[in-house]
Amino acid sequence: MPTIYIDNKAFEVKAGKNLLEACLSLGLDLPYFCWHPAMGSVGACRQCAVKVFKDEEDTRGRIVMSCMESVKDGLRLSVNDKTATTFRSQVIEWLMTNHPHDCPVCDEGGCCHLQDVTVMTGHNYRRYEYKKRTYTNQYLGPLVNHEMNRCIQCYRCVRYYRDYAGGKDLNVFSAHNHVYFGREKDGVLQSPFSGNLVEVCPTGVFTDKTLKEHYTRKWDLTNAPAVCQHCSLGCNVIAGERYGQLRNIVNRYNSEVNGYFLCDKGRFGYEFVNSENRVTQPLIRKRQSEAVNRATLMQHMSTLLSGHTLIGIGSPRASLESNYALMDLVGKENFYQGIPDDLVYIEQKIVDILLSGAIHTPSLKEIEQADAVLILGEDIWNTAPVMALAVRQSVMKTAATHTTEQVAIPLWHDMAVRELVQDAKGFLANMTVTASPLDEISASTMRAAPDDLARLGFAIAHILNPSLPEVPDATDAVRTQAMNISRALQQAKHPVIITGTSCWNNALVRAAFDIAAALDLTEKRAGLAFVMQDCNSLGLAMMRSSSFEKAITSAERSSNVTAIILENDLYRSVPAGQADAFFSSCKNVVVLDTLHNRTTERADVLIPAATFAEADGTFVNNEARAQCSSQVFMPANSEVRESFKWLSEIRSLKTTAGNGHEKHPDEILQALESKFPQFKGISRSAPPHDFRFHGARIPRESHRYSGRTAMQANIDVSEPKPLQDDDSPLSYTMEGYRGPAPSPLIPFFWAPGWNSGQSVNKFQLETGGSLKGGEPGVRLAEQTGVTPVFSRDIPDAFTARQDKWLLLPQYHLFGSGELSVYTEGIASQSPAPYISLSRHDAERAGLKEGDIVTVKSDGKAYSLPLSIHGSLPDGIMLVPAGLRGMDSWSWGGWVNISTVKV
Amino acid sequence: MQALTNRAKPVDRRPMTFMEKIYLPAIAKGMGITLKHIFQKKETVRYPEQKRPFSPVFRGLHVLNRDAEGRENCTACGLCAVACPAEAITMEAAERKPGEENLYREEKYAARYEINMLRCIFCGFCEEACPKDAIYLTETFAPAHYKREGFIYGKKDLLVPMPGEKK
Ligand code: SF4
Ligand code: SF4
Ligand code: SF4
Ligand code: SF4
Ligand code: FES
Repeated sequence: MPTIYIDNKAFEVKAGKNLLEACLSLGLDLPYFCWHPAMGSVGACRQCAVKVFKDEEDTRGRIVMSCMESVKDGLRLSVNDKTATTFRSQVIEWLMTNHPHDCPVCDEGGCCHLQDVTVMTGHNYRRYEYKKRTYTNQYLGPLVNHEMNRCIQCYRCVRYYRDYAGGKDLNVFSAHNHVYFGREKDGVLQSPFSGNLVEVCPTGVFTDKTLKEHYTRKWDLTNAPAVCQHCSLGCNVIAGERYGQLRNIVNRYNSEVNGYFLCDKGRFGYEFVNSENRVTQPLIRKRQSEAVNRATLMQHMSTLLSGHTLIGIGSPRASLESNYALMDLVGKENFYQGIPDDLVYIEQKIVDILLSGAIHTPSLKEIEQADAVLILGEDIWNTAPVMALAVRQSVMKTAATHTTEQVAIPLWHDMAVRELVQDAKGFLANMTVTASPLDEISASTMRAAPDDLARLGFAIAHILNPSLPEVPDATDAVRTQAMNISRALQQAKHPVIITGTSCWNNALVRAAFDIAAALDLTEKRAGLAFVMQDCNSLGLAMMRSSSFEKAITSAERSSNVTAIILENDLYRSVPAGQADAFFSSCKNVVVLDTLHNRTTERADVLIPAATFAEADGTFVNNEARAQCSSQVFMPANSEVRESFKWLSEIRSLKTTAGNGHEKHPDEILQALESKFPQFKGISRSAPPHDFRFHGARIPRESHRYSGRTAMQANIDVSEPKPLQDDDSPLSYTMEGYRGPAPSPLIPFFWAPGWNSGQSVNKFQLETGGSLKGGEPGVRLAEQTGVTPVFSRDIPDAFTARQDKWLLLPQYHLFGSGELSVYTEGIASQSPAPYISLSRHDAERAGLKEGDIVTVKSDGKAYSLPLSIHGSLPDGIMLVPAGLRGMDSWSWGGWVNISTVKV
Repeated sequence: MQALTNRAKPVDRRPMTFMEKIYLPAIAKGMGITLKHIFQKKETVRYPEQKRPFSPVFRGLHVLNRDAEGRENCTACGLCAVACPAEAITMEAAERKPGEENLYREEKYAARYEINMLRCIFCGFCEEACPKDAIYLTETFAPAHYKREGFIYGKKDLLVPMPGEKK
């Protein structure tokens, strides 16, 4: 490790870094703007100046930009040198000449990197007295607000939006003192990663529009570390509350999962927590006054439990604690996953693969570092957005790494590397049913039916491991493509294969496994990543329960069934016909859920459940990482409780020896762990509820939290006792332990002098590295080196049928989420329902764009307008999945078109 | 124990003399002091008929100011609330809509602004923190109320009247 001397003190630092990174990693305060740990340096802002000396004798030194200078052994620099500090404060003064100085009205105030740096450099008084340059702001859509006057021209936004995230519609215009960062003209930002601009921009140019609706300063929020609920990746987020409302979501750095970035669905899709549509009161239907209190509810529940056959329907979006509490209540044999048989089958396959230990499943960080990626079937842009962002980094960075291996240019030297790399890209093969925005960075693409994609996968596996069977009747095109892909995978050191469940096809999963396992035999560490459908799909699947169809069968066997449905809108999870069949064979239906939906309408007893923000819970993401999401706020309405609390209370009605002790979530996890060995270690995913630092808890509120004695004065003038959280080491106060918290319990990032999110530097071992104390979460599936069992079962080639179509779901990043569409800005970007056919199929059936087509799925007829899809293979019908109000269809089945209205 | 200052006065613990024991001289002395005060200038005033002048730095009840055009100055930045040592101020911000420029001076304004006068210690930090000259402490006392709720001052209690408007 090289030694450098900072202000005559010797420090050991990591080679290959720049001086800014070295200083920040050592915990020194050095201001900067344009450098970003995920994007490297360009030396644009001149804010990070330090003085570098030739040798010990040199007293003059020279000013350099620390972000553009490599660490060298023996290098001497000064951060505190008079010229350097003056230089930095002059740079800020100059950047501030046109700055509006409107912190009081600026949404960034209190978490503004520009404020922090201004204070840090000591530029206190403004000398510029002339007219300031002003700009016209743009409308950038419902999610991101634009206020160009605050810009300091650091170029971070365009570097993030274009270079990092691959967006096209944000750019820099004009020159000199008039550079403008925005779109060519007003309009919605096209990239689904645009929300990160809010955190990337060091000033208040880009701010969160949803926060603006109920604006609260960062210091006034009650925060907690949570886990995103909108897809299976489990990105880490910080959610903030005030006045009983969830106010915003920001990124919670986790180097192995989401790093610095979220997708817009995750960042903005939180409004469902504040929705008018929340279930707020226990209801017992079909009686005079339906709203009941807890005692009446419990009385009623005890009559529903005794003498009835219990059936529990679990949920892929409820926490493990809640699912387990339901299983504990109804008994393991009566607990079913609320998802169709086909999906359970595929997910079981995935669980078997992961738990077998035969392969390695990569984290998102590892996908970023992969040097060849094969996507088999999964439309990750829509089903796992941040994974698509990671794949993009792999493609861009592989090329950069290859190039910089030959010339002596460090990877952080962003512009130089880009200049060298030009258009070179790493290898990505995007093999999916329809076109995807990832195609433009793919070396190889293919549009085919899932079975054909699986056959391509098996063909690749055969080339990699000739002892595997050859794909019968493979076309030449498939052979060449398989050849090319297998060559690229073979050349790579860390190839990654990605597949998932959204094609409803198990052959894809098997094919992907065969490829990964075949690659592993050649001494590589290949990664096999799966994308699931919901935030806890894998956790539920790991409980290995039967499908919804089995639940119907068992409900039909008995005449006296009480079904308890946990946080699951069955009309979205299974075809409507099946849901109806189930409801009609149950005598009593008890539903616990957060929002009113079609399933809660069928409930005889409806119990209000807490959302993720009001509950503690553990979720298992797609890489089998169990992560704890902490309660952000206690609902003011005491009828809204975590499902596991309700279920444990209901369970205590059954046992005569109920001791009234409420189980803490960590105790439920311990019980889960002791019952199911596959969850071994899960109780370590967060410190237990009684964890303390010398008796102190970790406060959810900042030390600047204001208004404590006034906030609730409208309810009670004498201020109430702070809420007591018995389930976690976090407290609902400003007091407590202010030092570094264990990483799963960091409620917000803040450090003295660093009020913005950039303070995360102080929580990392090195800038852009892992959090001190390790990343949150426990991985439940690790490669153990057992010999893989290859599948060898190759499906027949897909053949389009006469007048019948294979029905497949199309997921939409904006629109397919059950919860995220409660955010108006997301709902407004959701497509309207449609039925999609290939051009050729539409022509053959004599259909035109916009014709109303009626399709029967699972006994129900649906009429939707036709949308002709250019890249769709023939023989497939694509229907958007999970749009608001739409039923779930029999995905993977065959349908025909019954009537057409022109 | 060593004394911290040299100002401590030892208590006289000698037994009382006969003169002291009969008390009469002490009573006469006390009456003398009382009589002297009857003819001296009074220290108190007859409040509320008679009021004393305020000192120039007196800090009384708050007001929320308007600018010369009658627009609310407060932009709900939250700085007074964060400065308040008694945590007595709370507010909720809202965005000014087109057409409301005559009501609010800045793009943002306080949709709700409350001070808990029972908690306030009239330190004036809020006034000092305000970047928009919006909150001022005036020369008024907080009046008495029959209910504690009356001490929660909202915007309608705090805002100065519009020019020409009677409060
Ligand atoms: S960008 Fe920062 S410094 Fe500029 S007005 Fe906003 S809060 Fe103040
Ligand atoms: S808009 Fe923000 S990120 Fe972009 S150049 Fe200006 S200050 Fe930097
Ligand atoms: S990628 Fe998935 S988990 Fe991550 S922020 Fe988006 S929806 Fe949430
Ligand atoms: S005068 Fe002091 S205590 Fe009273 S509201 Fe203002 S800052 Fe708070
Ligand atoms: S951070 Fe070094 S020049 Fe901008």
